[in-house]
Amino acid sequence: MMETEYGPGRTIPHPILFRVLDGEADDTTVPEIKVEHTSEYAYYPGCVDYYDMEMQFSHVNYGDTNHGIIFDSSIKLLRAVGIEPMILDRSFMKCCGHDQLWQGKVDVFERMRDYNAKIIKMLGIKTLVTSCAEGYRTFKLDYKLPGVRVVHITQILYERGLRIPPQGHTAKKIRVAYQDPCRSCRQMPVDPVYEEPRELIKRVDNAELVELKTFRADAQCCGVAQMMYCNDKTKGLTRMRMDEADEVGADFLLTACPKCLTHFGCLHHENKWKPGEERQQYRVMDITQFLAERLPGEYPSGGNVDTKRAEPPLPGRKGGW
Amino acid sequence: MEIEKVKERIMEGRPGFTRQYGPSRTDHQPGIPFFPQEATRDFVVIFFLTAIMFFLSAFVTPFLGPPRSPQVSELAVPDWYLLFSWGLLKIADIFPVFTIGAGTPLQTEFSAVFWGDILSGIPIIALLLLPFLDRGREARPAKAPIRSAVGLAGIMAIFTSSLYSIREVVWERWTTPNGQPLIDDTAMKWFFVIPPVLVGLASYVALRRLGFKPMRKWLVSMTLVAFLIVAGQSLAILFVPGWLGPEVQPYWVQLALFLFILSAAAGASALAVLVLPESRARRAVHITGIVTFLAFVGATLYLQSAEPKAFDWILSVLEPNTNTLLLLPGFAVVTAWFGLRRPYSTYEYLLNECYQCGKCHTVCPVTKVEDDALGGLNLVYNSFKKQHDGVPLWTCLACDACSAVCPLDIKYSDYILEERSKAHARSAADGGEVE
Repeated sequence: MMETEYGPGRTIPHPILFRVLDGEADDTTVPEIKVEHTSEYAYYPGCVDYYDMEMQFSHVNYGDTNHGIIFDSSIKLLRAVGIEPMILDRSFMKCCGHDQLWQGKVDVFERMRDYNAKIIKMLGIKTLVTSCAEGYRTFKLDYKLPGVRVVHITQILYERGLRIPPQGHTAKKIRVAYQDPCRSCRQMPVDPVYEEPRELIKRVDNAELVELKTFRADAQCCGVAQMMYCNDKTKGLTRMRMDEADEVGADFLLTACPKCLTHFGCLHHENKWKPGEERQQYRVMDITQFLAERLPGEYPSGGNVDTKRAEPPLPGRKGGW
Repeated sequence: MEIEKVKERIMEGRPGFTRQYGPSRTDHQPGIPFFPQEATRDFVVIFFLTAIMFFLSAFVTPFLGPPRSPQVSELAVPDWYLLFSWGLLKIADIFPVFTIGAGTPLQTEFSAVFWGDILSGIPIIALLLLPFLDRGREARPAKAPIRSAVGLAGIMAIFTSSLYSIREVVWERWTTPNGQPLIDDTAMKWFFVIPPVLVGLASYVALRRLGFKPMRKWLVSMTLVAFLIVAGQSLAILFVPGWLGPEVQPYWVQLALFLFILSAAAGASALAVLVLPESRARRAVHITGIVTFLAFVGATLYLQSAEPKAFDWILSVLEPNTNTLLLLPGFAVVTAWFGLRRPYSTYEYLLNECYQCGKCHTVCPVTKVEDDALGGLNLVYNSFKKQHDGVPLWTCLACDACSAVCPLDIKYSDYILEERSKAHARSAADGGEVE
């Protein structure tokens, strides 16, 4: 038994998600690797699809939080800057192991790390793009990937000069707030992702970047780390953070971390369905989704996206699960 | 590339740690250097003290008594705290005596007196130069291993130098059964040098290891050299004809036993360092040390009671070779043990830098919602004191807001990472967590 001062409620809840991910780590046989498009650039989508599944299992995602679209948006944005990435599909890659590491399961993490590093080396990847703050930190610091440049997607979009076309005169002026994820900002000793998302938001001509009460290195955490627990206290933290967005009158609350998106979206949905709730009447989404919505053109299909699907996936239960 | 430097700092394959906890930590150096920041104030203090001394010597002269007569004793010994300086004067005869530019106005005589003066000046000069040579800002020994090792070697050198200064007493006190001085001048001179060097090396290895550095390469070379020297000299003593005096020849077997114990200690340490994995090597060295010590003491006690004459002759072989036969095996065992030791855990090493400013408390998001965390709370300090009041291990978000404001750059999430992995290992050992 784990000894904590606060009883079993505060220990790791071990949802199905982590049972599945930990179970994956034990099987280190390399399956047949099917890559549609080989490239020096690789995109690692991470656990976004798993989050959607988990949220639906726990019946919290009847709202408009859409994890699956992070993948589609990322591919669309990367194509817009002239990169056709190799997609590191979940069929042959494992979870990056961030949550396992921070839950104390170092042995599980090391198995995942060794497996993933082997595959990445095997595929000859030069640049690894991740749309997840935790993945960015984990691949960059906790993996040993010699010769591989690990970038957050906002970094490579900024570096390649992503251009967002004018939204037109009819477009409404919007105020956009950005939440700095802990993992890609404060915890990175080099290359913290502070400026790039803000610069990209400024390129949307009808968007005005507003800073929350705490931002950059002082930014408050979204409330939950490594999916460890969900209770009134953590919801209180999330609520405090979302109230900050209310105070500055934001129309959009963006983040670069799917975990932040999960927790913001969960609380957002809860509050929205309360009768008479006036607060938090803004949209919560990932920065890739925000940018991709403002780009002309279709969402891509391919990889682990349903090939028959022309539209981007609908959020929540309606997405076809 | 900078990220490569960060990766080099991630220690010994332990994932998650981004900060170097040790001497080569380059990201942040707390404190201010001695020179020139502290120099002005120190010069004021120095001049003030000098002025007081001049004043006292001029106006409040103490009564010193009559000078000592040289006829009182043959051996005029200075006070104990000056013996080391006397030893430095005495050892000056190892330097050559010559004269440069004889007959010219620039004639310089490199006499024994000159060399003695130089040697006595070395400690003072070293102390004067220390602030200019050592520009590091770390005060903890484990963070400045070279400085600390040199300092410990210097303290050892004070002892050996003092011992050398009373070499006449040593010659009088320890003699062979024949009445000859047991330890000759050459061995005494080496004894002046060797122990400080060994102490310096051992403390360097120990302190670097304390700062999370892998020290196996150093250990391999040092223990191996120690073993080769001890074994080589033992074999030479035993088998080269003419090395052993005719008086010692009858006690060949007993002598061989002692030499075997000493060589085996160095050999076992070297073998453990070379072959075994780290955890088992540490235990092997531990056992080697204990077994050697017990065997040596047991053999000594047995021989002293059973054959005192043989023991005297064996000592007459061992003691002149103290520098190699007795010191090196001990050095090999102690260094291997220090170098394989498990370093401090992260929080013991780093969290104790905390000076309780409490900034971490003001920014911690968890304290804003935890009822029982309101009030006095200092994450780092309380964790170091093992009092996680209000922010226990599993409530921490590892968001590093505390590290972002910490004036000493203490990385609290590293502590969380380490403690969680320990807790998980404990729970796995108990048969896994409850479903």
